[in-house]
Amino acid sequence: MSPSIIQVKKLSKSFGDRLVLNGINLVIPEGKITVIMGGSGGGKSTLLRHMVGLTKPDAGSIEIEREDIVRLAPEKMNDVRRKFGMLFQGSALFNSMSVFENVALPLREHTDLSDEIILIIVKVKLELVGLTGFEDFLPHQLSGGMRKRVALARAIALDPKIVFYDEPGAGLDPITASMIDQLILDLSQKLQITSVVVTHEMQSAFRIADQIVMLHKGKVLEVGRPEDIKTSSNPFVQQFIKGEHEGAIPFRQTREAYLKGLLET
Amino acid sequence: MRDFLGNIGSAAGLLLAGVCRLFGLGVRILAVSVQGSPTKRGARREAFVRQMVLCGFDSLPIICLVACSMGMVLALQGAYQLKQFGAVMYTGSLVSVSVARELGPLMASIVIAGRIGARMAAELGTMKVQEEVDALTTMGIDPVRFLVVPRCLALCVMLPCLVIVTDAVAILGGFVIGVMSVGINPDLYLAKSFDALVLKDIYTGLAKSFLFALLIGLVSCHQGLSVQGGADEVGRATTQAVVTSIVLIIVVDCLATAIFYYALPT
Repeated sequence: MSPSIIQVKKLSKSFGDRLVLNGINLVIPEGKITVIMGGSGGGKSTLLRHMVGLTKPDAGSIEIEREDIVRLAPEKMNDVRRKFGMLFQGSALFNSMSVFENVALPLREHTDLSDEIILIIVKVKLELVGLTGFEDFLPHQLSGGMRKRVALARAIALDPKIVFYDEPGAGLDPITASMIDQLILDLSQKLQITSVVVTHEMQSAFRIADQIVMLHKGKVLEVGRPEDIKTSSNPFVQQFIKGEHEGAIPFRQTREAYLKGLLET
Repeated sequence: MRDFLGNIGSAAGLLLAGVCRLFGLGVRILAVSVQGSPTKRGARREAFVRQMVLCGFDSLPIICLVACSMGMVLALQGAYQLKQFGAVMYTGSLVSVSVARELGPLMASIVIAGRIGARMAAELGTMKVQEEVDALTTMGIDPVRFLVVPRCLALCVMLPCLVIVTDAVAILGGFVIGVMSVGINPDLYLAKSFDALVLKDIYTGLAKSFLFALLIGLVSCHQGLSVQGGADEVGRATTQAVVTSIVLIIVVDCLATAIFYYALPT
């Protein structure tokens, strides 16, 4: 196994009296693709928001290259943030800016490069995601898949070591979604970028993952290679993979179990 | 009775918390403006200029319309009252002093609160909902520096300019009515208008408009950035931004007038 780049230790977070993350321990290996999976409301997006420093945990630590980002001063945090990029679920492009300006923004803000060099870098990044010639378009003139790719180009503009993906295939047709998957694979293999992908789409997860993390009710259920997960004996994992509505998580709950579930969460 | 007092207490607490949050945002803006940006790029100046055009130049037609109507109404009503004392020729003084001291800054700020404040709150609120603010943060770009500072600075520069325009157009509107409808001699009207004005009337008006600009910017940006959830929250924040701005403008105007004309030595 390659050395770890992110280490999450005993991470806990609750919103109100709802415990969303319950003592998560996790190691993300460098240069690999880690897929975090789980049902809706299982805490995967919350875990991702913690890893990029958008949310502060109640307890525990997150180390990116041995630097604990939970206890880092805001100015130092911005230095850490330059090591990673993030692809948001809704792309989060700035609507008043063209594709070029969107991708150029982190370069303009964080480097002293001249405009000519920035232009070249932006062209290279757009080429990488297969969008040559779209520099002058505005985000609303692009399709959902294209917006995702522009957002990806923006996320890798500063050549980050890590890229976080929040539901990269959400809202896309299967072909476009698999194109995004291929891009994630390309980036990981060609540029040795560490990828952390949050998704609940099994097909895409098995296609790209080097390591799969299953989350359930704020806890890590199982960690392993895709083959291990496929042959897992855990009934929750099997139910999730097969997408069955009956299984370890019952579809129709008894009144008592329903009440218990309500009171637990 | 206890409920009533409790309600007052909780309302006061909420008000205090709101004032503290606004103050916090103000301090952050000040800190960011003073320390300057690490990379001085055209992008931020561009954003600043775009905001200035939006809130200054693009507001000119509506500001002129409001100012002109206001000047005319003042002249009409003033002349009617002054006629009873045989002092119709002082209509010009009435219009110019009341516009420069109070109505100019007040009306311009209220129009801008509705036009620009609502726009800012809705824009920032939508950006928050669509994760664009989060995207800025993860890129290591401070949203206050990138979004709030150019907007607030542009307002603080442009609103006093708009108030000067408002004053001029309102006095012009009063002049038109005074001369054409009330029948005052044009030279006399103008002479009375400017005789009554002292420099202090103008600069206290401008100082107040600067304060109002700061208020509109702070309240609107704060409301926009505090949006959490979806479209209904954006709507709520927009309404709240305009209502809070206008109420605060009027309250602060009252305090500022008291300070400028009664507390400070003349």
